[in-house]
Amino acid sequence: MITIALSKGRLAQKALDLLEAAGYDVSAGREESRKLILQDEKTGLRFIMAKPADVPTYVEYGAADIGVVGKDTLLEEGRNLYEVIDLGFGACRMCVCGPVSLKGKLDQIPNKRVASKYPNITRAYFEGTKKESVEIIKLNGSVELAPLIGLAEVIVDIVESGRTLKENGLDVLEVVADISARVVVNRVSMKMKEAEIVPMLDALRKQVAIKNAEKAAEEK
Amino acid sequence: MGNYRFHTPDGVIDILPQEASVKRKMETDLRELFSAHGYSEVETPGIEYYDVYSSGDFVATEDMYKMTDKDGRIIAMRYDGTIPVARLAATLLKDEKPPLRLSYIENMFRFKESGGGKLREFSQAGVELLGLDDAEADAEVIALGIKSALMTGLTDLQISIGQVEFFRGLVEEWGISPEDASELSTAIDQKDIVRIEKTAERLGLSEDAKELLDMISNRFGTYDVLDAFEKKVGNEVSRAALKNLREILDTLSDYELLQYVSIDLGMLRSLDYYTGMIFKGFTYEVGFPILGGGRYNKVVSTFGRDLSAVGFSLGINLCLTALRRQDKLPEFVKVDAIVGYKDGEGMRKAAFATAKALRETGLKVIVDTRHLSEEELDAYAELHGIDQAVFVEEEEDTEEENT
Repeated sequence: MITIALSKGRLAQKALDLLEAAGYDVSAGREESRKLILQDEKTGLRFIMAKPADVPTYVEYGAADIGVVGKDTLLEEGRNLYEVIDLGFGACRMCVCGPVSLKGKLDQIPNKRVASKYPNITRAYFEGTKKESVEIIKLNGSVELAPLIGLAEVIVDIVESGRTLKENGLDVLEVVADISARVVVNRVSMKMKEAEIVPMLDALRKQVAIKNAEKAAEEK
Repeated sequence: MGNYRFHTPDGVIDILPQEASVKRKMETDLRELFSAHGYSEVETPGIEYYDVYSSGDFVATEDMYKMTDKDGRIIAMRYDGTIPVARLAATLLKDEKPPLRLSYIENMFRFKESGGGKLREFSQAGVELLGLDDAEADAEVIALGIKSALMTGLTDLQISIGQVEFFRGLVEEWGISPEDASELSTAIDQKDIVRIEKTAERLGLSEDAKELLDMISNRFGTYDVLDAFEKKVGNEVSRAALKNLREILDTLSDYELLQYVSIDLGMLRSLDYYTGMIFKGFTYEVGFPILGGGRYNKVVSTFGRDLSAVGFSLGINLCLTALRRQDKLPEFVKVDAIVGYKDGEGMRKAAFATAKALRETGLKVIVDTRHLSEEELDAYAELHGIDQAVFVEEEEDTEEENT
């Protein structure tokens, strides 16, 4: 039995589509119900629907063998996992954002206050990459508010289209990381269930390559 | 403030009779196993000076339980078994001629770990083989690691063996900076193909090099893997690493343990610590390796003695968890027999003699203290799941037995 942890919502549906395209019977995972564990004895697949931030935890502890989760969550949770495939979908960027007037001047502000839903990513970026100490203010949503009302100078957040930023007079100042959905695998499962997991990963990789080729062709 | 009177702190647990008895038996068996292989047990203090761990950069500050003594010096609780043994080998045991074979079974304290069967206080059994720097010594330690894990009662066991020198050789050959090497090794260790490819691209590595990186991440096996890599690499350091692994496999084959192992050159954790072979052991139902070890030749020299070192440690609590989840915990019997006795002169003494005789046959025996009648004794035994009730009625050892 292979247990797959999916991030509830759009990401789960896309992951199921991909597994189906790779030749797996995922009807159990599509069952419309409020069940949190969807199991199919016949196919040997078990899906658990978890909050995105919890997917890396389930996989690290081996409660799930495989997980599908955004790179942002992986960076924030910092779990010890195999991160084997970039699925390509759910693409966006983790950015430092602030008032347009700060463009190119970010490094000139001392003792910055940075608001974010992602305190660990923020700390790693400012302290690790930029070698700068900052005050991090953890918020739980509508982070764009913080620089507007003076709670923080800048924010670290996910940027998809950038519309919310623009409408609030904010802009991307620096890019922290590219984000997309990833397949993660528990380190023990990879060894103990190699015979089931490795072929699944290979099949998924093949599907991703096909999808990427289609996308490239469309763009031309 | 809360009232924590009823609770144990995060990450520490009470171990109840059944598991405690299995755990103690496990520790006794392991102690005998180590001793039978010529490893002498040492006991190091539960607290060390913080410097013992910090001077070699062995452990991150955040991961240690720390306090200060009355002179303001920082004390750290025992974090692992290797570092204190290395300190011991370089100080009190400095005149002992190598090789040294030492073992320990101790509780370790780690500040950050908690949840999922990983505890902040847990028992580890381990060995250190100091002063022998060759593949046969490596294999001796791996073999003992496998035997230890099997001795706990686990049967499904997988051992992955890597060699950090293989990667170091490639880094030298390709002329990569330490920062880039660390980026690359992290990506390989996480099997993060995207990041490996991106880094390889950025560093302008050749197609051959990229193919090799792909092989490191994806090829597992035994001799076939070594054959494949030998055809691909030319530098001396990497080739020596492959030769070391081949000799380890040859030796493990003579130990008749080859069926448990596979080679994984993508295991690249703690590159500053390990200097050669590394290995980890896995079983079903626990998400973490139950055992790990390798060669760390620079550790003892941190304490001023130039002595090579190879060792492993087995997580006893993780083994217990695995046994429980795999339904392999042996049946637990609290008491095998209860001895009661009739009121009267000399009867209690006769009961004690009976109990003693039963205990000598290996049974767990209690003596009734409440003067139960024969019928009450039988009822008590029935209620408490005690197999045998023995009622002593005469001073002679002609007691009547009820089963």
